[in-house]
Amino acid sequence: MAVNVARADSNLETVRGTSLWQDAWRRLFRNRLAVFGLIVVAIVTIASIAGPPIIERTTGYTYDYIPRDATLIKAFAPFEGPDGSFSWTHPMGTDNAGRDILARVLLGGRISLMVGLISTLVSLVIGISYGAASGYFGGRIDEAMMRIVDVLYALPYMMIVIVLLAMFGSQSPFSQLLLLFVSLGAVSWLTMARIVRGQVLSLKAQEFVLAARATGVSPLKIIARHLVPNTLGPVIVYATLTIPTVMLSEAFLSFLGIGVQAPLASWGSLVADGVTNIAIFPWQLLCPGVTMALTLFSLNFLGDGLRDALDPQMRKS
Amino acid sequence: MLRFALRRLLVTIPMVFVVVSLTWGLIRLAPGNFYSGERPIPAAIVANIRAKYGLDRPWYVQYGRTIGNIARGDFGISLRYLGQPVNDILFSALPVSATVGSLAYLLALVVGIPAGILAAMRQNSKVDYSSMAAAMAGISIPNFVLGPALVMIFALTLFWFPPARWEGFSVNLIMPVVTLSAMYMAYVARLTRSGMLEVLRSNYIRTARAKGLSDRQVLLRHALRGGLLPVVSFSGPALALLVTGTVVVERIFALPGLGNYFINANLNRDEPLIIGIVAFTSIAILLFNLAIDILYGLLDPRVRY
Repeated sequence: MAVNVARADSNLETVRGTSLWQDAWRRLFRNRLAVFGLIVVAIVTIASIAGPPIIERTTGYTYDYIPRDATLIKAFAPFEGPDGSFSWTHPMGTDNAGRDILARVLLGGRISLMVGLISTLVSLVIGISYGAASGYFGGRIDEAMMRIVDVLYALPYMMIVIVLLAMFGSQSPFSQLLLLFVSLGAVSWLTMARIVRGQVLSLKAQEFVLAARATGVSPLKIIARHLVPNTLGPVIVYATLTIPTVMLSEAFLSFLGIGVQAPLASWGSLVADGVTNIAIFPWQLLCPGVTMALTLFSLNFLGDGLRDALDPQMRKS
Repeated sequence: MLRFALRRLLVTIPMVFVVVSLTWGLIRLAPGNFYSGERPIPAAIVANIRAKYGLDRPWYVQYGRTIGNIARGDFGISLRYLGQPVNDILFSALPVSATVGSLAYLLALVVGIPAGILAAMRQNSKVDYSSMAAAMAGISIPNFVLGPALVMIFALTLFWFPPARWEGFSVNLIMPVVTLSAMYMAYVARLTRSGMLEVLRSNYIRTARAKGLSDRQVLLRHALRGGLLPVVSFSGPALALLVTGTVVVERIFALPGLGNYFINANLNRDEPLIIGIVAFTSIAILLFNLAIDILYGLLDPRVRY
């Protein structure tokens, strides 16, 4: 998007017009909730990336560091020091093994955001190719392909993901992550395919596609070079809204114990750990839970804001 | 209409077949076995188990038997709940999930539709903004955070309800139903609002206003029918989502429903139970979707079959 903004800026100097993207930026920044969302998402992202090394340097805690000193292996409340006085060591407290919850929440943020981003990318690749092919070829092919999407919508696909993860999961933490990326991406492309197909259907009737076809460009190239780049606006909007949905699914699976495996943690598995102690150590549930809810809230607002900004006519639901 | 329904019913059968085959394949392709555990089992016992469950036969015989049994409506016998037919488990668990699920969706409609209408009638007012912000919160707060938070407040601090217990139709249902409902409430409110906004701008509403109907009559007689169509079409996929929602809620509140059995079956590799629940829910969802499509046709005169 940065490239387009730069192009829009150079446009401004020569022609003094406002481009679509420039207009969109302006509208986005006027939407206070979207700006709030953008700021929170930025803070969470930066904290997840930069936070763990900083914590390790200042307090020596990592996400799986269990203190050697036996008196430290217990659940401390937020800001509670070893002697019960105020301390900055654990702003979110510790879990039953004495592990720093802030460090774990930040690691969970890394994993959750990563799953959100990569699975969304997987769903983008599938959704765009499927939708573009369906829209471009049209007719019977289109009808059959969209009928399949309709039917898939109505299936309990999360059940199949659960079976997949429970059967093939927990070989190693990393293969488990890979499985999560692919399986969540593979079940969240349906709406994307519909959106891209709709865009391509209206785009392919335009002259530039006819011109490309007349000069002998192959269908594959027309789709990749001429049609898909023109669908980018709605695709970006929907991708932003897919990220929180996928993160929610990942957290749901991790909450059930078949998503991210120990020693890694995600917000879902941290909440699951916290639930067992809610009566005595409520912060173990609240810290990851609130962080997650706030992040999803912000991502949703950002997505809604982007939609209103990029396509004022699409202001729906 | 009848032809449409029959054609859709005919599509349903291969769909269930595909889902069941996929699940069966996934379970069979996975490493390990339902009897492989921490302790090694003597070879003679393994041979006995394999013979008893027909695992010594070629895969296509086993697959054919599974499909044949399902076609006859018999899901076999659970591997973990020894001797219990899967059908019995389904019939004992279904009322639990169905009660919680339908109450949750009902609550979502009862709260979400009026909130959405109000927001649409007073677009860009404080009512609109606050109900839409609440809806956004409903979508963003995961149910597995909301549920324990409710337990913390209402069960462990105020002592209004027990934290978890299934007693049939009782006050204990309030917390699970609210937990499950929050997200659907939010979706229904947003869909109602956008549907109503679109309808309120349309020509036939202007005509109704022009001929002097009161706001109330315009709303109840004309706008509502069109404005609620998105909610009707959402109800189909919502059931598919509700299935995953109930898994979490049943887990948190220890309800003996389908979702809880499904997770346990997966952890135990209880193949007949997994396949039974998957097949059963797929059939239920597909039939429900068919009903929704027919209802949609009845409500929207523009739709022809």
